[in-house]
Amino acid sequence: MRTILYIEDDQEIGRFVKDDLEARGFSVRWLLSGEGADEALPEADLVVLDVMLPGLDGFTIGQRLKRKQGDIPILLLSARTAVDDKLAGLQFADDYLTKPFHPDELAARIDVLLRRAGRDLMEEITLDHLRINLKENRILTTAGEEILLTAKQHQIFTYLLRHPNQILTKEQLYEGVWQEPYLEGDKTLHVHIRYLREKIEQDPSQPRIIETIRGIGYRVKQ
Amino acid sequence: MKRLRRSLLAQYVLIILFATMILPISVTGLSIVFYNTLYEGNSDDRLYNGTDLEQMWHRTAKSLEQATEEEIREKFHQLKLVYTNANLYWVDVKGMTRVTFPENLPVRKQWKATDAIQFMKDHRGMTADPFTTVAFLGTEGKHGFIVFQLPRSDMESPSDKLREQYNFLFPIALLAVFIVFILISTLFFYRIRKRLLHLQEAMAISDQSGVPSPVAVSREDEIGRLELSFNRMVQEVEEGRLRQLEEEELRKELIANLSHDLRTPLTTIRGHTYRLHQEHLSEKGMESVKLLDEKIRYMDGLIDNLVSYTLLTTGKYPFYPEKIDIVRLVRTSFATWYPIFENLEFTMELDIPDRQIFWQADPQWFSRILDNLLQNIHRHAADGRYIAIRIQEETLMLEDHGPGMKSKSSSQGVGIGLSIVSLMMKEMKLEWNIQTDTNGTKMTIRQKQRSYQNEY
Repeated sequence: MRTILYIEDDQEIGRFVKDDLEARGFSVRWLLSGEGADEALPEADLVVLDVMLPGLDGFTIGQRLKRKQGDIPILLLSARTAVDDKLAGLQFADDYLTKPFHPDELAARIDVLLRRAGRDLMEEITLDHLRINLKENRILTTAGEEILLTAKQHQIFTYLLRHPNQILTKEQLYEGVWQEPYLEGDKTLHVHIRYLREKIEQDPSQPRIIETIRGIGYRVKQ
Repeated sequence: MKRLRRSLLAQYVLIILFATMILPISVTGLSIVFYNTLYEGNSDDRLYNGTDLEQMWHRTAKSLEQATEEEIREKFHQLKLVYTNANLYWVDVKGMTRVTFPENLPVRKQWKATDAIQFMKDHRGMTADPFTTVAFLGTEGKHGFIVFQLPRSDMESPSDKLREQYNFLFPIALLAVFIVFILISTLFFYRIRKRLLHLQEAMAISDQSGVPSPVAVSREDEIGRLELSFNRMVQEVEEGRLRQLEEEELRKELIANLSHDLRTPLTTIRGHTYRLHQEHLSEKGMESVKLLDEKIRYMDGLIDNLVSYTLLTTGKYPFYPEKIDIVRLVRTSFATWYPIFENLEFTMELDIPDRQIFWQADPQWFSRILDNLLQNIHRHAADGRYIAIRIQEETLMLEDHGPGMKSKSSSQGVGIGLSIVSLMMKEMKLEWNIQTDTNGTKMTIRQKQRSYQNEY
């Protein structure tokens, strides 16, 4: 079970979010302030952090937690919409959500963050005719055939799967996979996607798994 | 003395006083000095003045009243030693020229009455040369008369000569006195001017905060007091500025806290609305829950816009303009809105070029503008089921087929979202045009100066 460290001083919101996330299958460790966060950190897969807290504020706690464990995803919750807060928050936090948030949105963002961090224990994703095991890096068709991808194709596909239902622009996708700035007019990504589709789509001319959003980018719906 | 140092007026009055007195004082003073020094060294034995010579001659005549020819000769000899160029002679009562100095003096031997008159006529007046004086010897000329003639050129005293030689010194000395006066007054005003200019410079130059720096107070006079007042003013302005900064910071903090205090209960309401939504409700109940959620979302947007608007109008909205690729930003921004329009079954037309277009803008602000505009279309123009985004000729175009901006939308707000867009566009020097009618709205956004395009 994935464990979420949740730091929130407001009793009503805290109680509700804890209940909701637990109902969604997460184990939630709820703290009223930054006290005890360090101790709870090793067991957590993700931190949901409120900005306005008694004592040390969310920024300070978040930065301290990141220093202790750089790979822990942190989602910042704030009721203050000052843009400064957002800019400062995103210096260390992985995502930023303003109150009042919809519980579905919070859950979706947590999912994305966990998956991006590779902490998602979801065994298998079924997409169209594919069964994908992200942990074992294996893709099987429903017929039981294994699809072998090149390293880059695999990286692209995994990146798309880690951002489910999100439209990724070609810049985002390229920079996420290649880790270098996208140069306008570069056809590399396009070519890779074409080969990837030839392998995973049943009909590459009518792609159903990797969707092209014309003029914008690509999306994998799950 | 202390008062004098503390008052420019007193100093000025002193200079003027000095100036009005300088003419009489300097002329008298100079004359005294001048003549005193020059008259020194004049011998008293020799006379130069005509009157003095005449008196001297008459005195001589008196002393020689009873003298013999030898005595007269002796006296003349003495005088001749003093007045080397003089002619001296004695004519006795019979009209005979008796003693002449020098011996070979070309003078008549025998005088008649007419000769005497002619002689007197010839040698009369101030200009007659040589200077001639005649004195009777003895009462009523009992023993004839004696004549003393001196060339006029020999009548100039050495002091006269000296004075003539150094006459030019007097105006020079006078001029020097005037120059000294002019120098003193110029120096006086130059120093005042310098200090005033210094003060003016200090007022003009300001540090980063826009407040001038205080000046060093050099003296205690009027300008010194002005400098003191200036420093006091600077200090007050500085204090006022700090107070204003503090107030702005407080206001910013207040807005952030207000936003927090409004959103926190809203979050709770939303959570419970969600919980209600999961309960088994009647159709009417479900409708209410849906409406509640919608209104919460609306209020959320309103608070956000209100805060942003307040920050923008007070210039406190963080602004970091840079060279940004708007094609990329438009693409990223629209990617997040795509699913929403997709769910509403919008016809989406995208014409975004495959090249970079650089504008000078703050990426956060530009995203905010796009978000607000897209949200507007989502909220007010959803009936048209159409959205088009085009980037053509360095111009961003947004089009919808909604009922137009002038018509009343079912979910209208106070238009604060568009006010924010307008303020941000203005700040980033973007040109924003709107064409709206009942068939839809077309917007174009372009950069005012086209200097940052396509530079890469």
